[in-house]
Amino acid sequence: MYPITDQHIDFVLCDLDANGIKTPDLRQNLLDHICILAEKNLEDGDDFYAYYRSVIPTFYREELAEIEAETVFLLSHRRPLLLLSRGWFLCGLFILLIGPFVGYDLLWLLNNGRLPWEVWCGTLVFMQFPLLIWLVITLTPERFDPLLPKGSKVLLGWRPFISIL
Amino acid sequence: MVYSSELIKGTLKTIVLKLLADNKKMYGYEITQRVREVSGDRIQITEGALYPSLHALEADGLVTTEVEYIGKRMRKYYSLSPAGKAATRERVKELSAFMQTMALLLDIQPKTA
Repeated sequence: MYPITDQHIDFVLCDLDANGIKTPDLRQNLLDHICILAEKNLEDGDDFYAYYRSVIPTFYREELAEIEAETVFLLSHRRPLLLLSRGWFLCGLFILLIGPFVGYDLLWLLNNGRLPWEVWCGTLVFMQFPLLIWLVITLTPERFDPLLPKGSKVLLGWRPFISIL
Repeated sequence: MVYSSELIKGTLKTIVLKLLADNKKMYGYEITQRVREVSGDRIQITEGALYPSLHALEADGLVTTEVEYIGKRMRKYYSLSPAGKAATRERVKELSAFMQTMALLLDIQPKTA
């Protein structure tokens, strides 16, 4: 294995910095990558600097600073992630849609002692709506993806719902 | 045949997440070599694409890092965070559905209906 010296490391770090790699972590990642390549491909006595100059252009298309620019771009244009699993999303959907009816029934029960049949029927009828959504999502899983934007999810949920009706 | 970088770009994060899910912790060079090995050299991840993606995944909280010093240089190991594990499952599912759709769209496989 080719021995990498501190001088080699200092040279690479300085060169990366001079060529636009300003993020310290990114510089360290590239340094380690270059060192591994040198350790694997060079023999004792080979010229590290010449190898470095030949290998570094394979990292980019036009200039090294592209890597820095890409890193900055990706860090500033991160896609908001919906980290709810499918199960949690459905639980949330049920609570959101059925919750108000159950809450209304409970309040009615607390105030009047018993639920009239109209309220029971109303709750049962409105419970069908989230159940229908659940059935649509379960029966057509390819139309549902929790990572899709919120608007698309609503659209994807409604289309099969309407076609079933 | 080596696939074009345009094709790989949109799937790079999913590839990295899946590799980390299967290998616990890896560093950059290891990831590029593993991808080459598994894909039979058909997918060659460039350093210019890999490291920005790893930084973005770290900033998103999908991967955690562990540093090891080798003399004066630093090696960063990446592993999946709990959020990363959930995101990997979702992304693999999403990519799988996308590939099926593309196959239909480009008429790569015979239509069943």
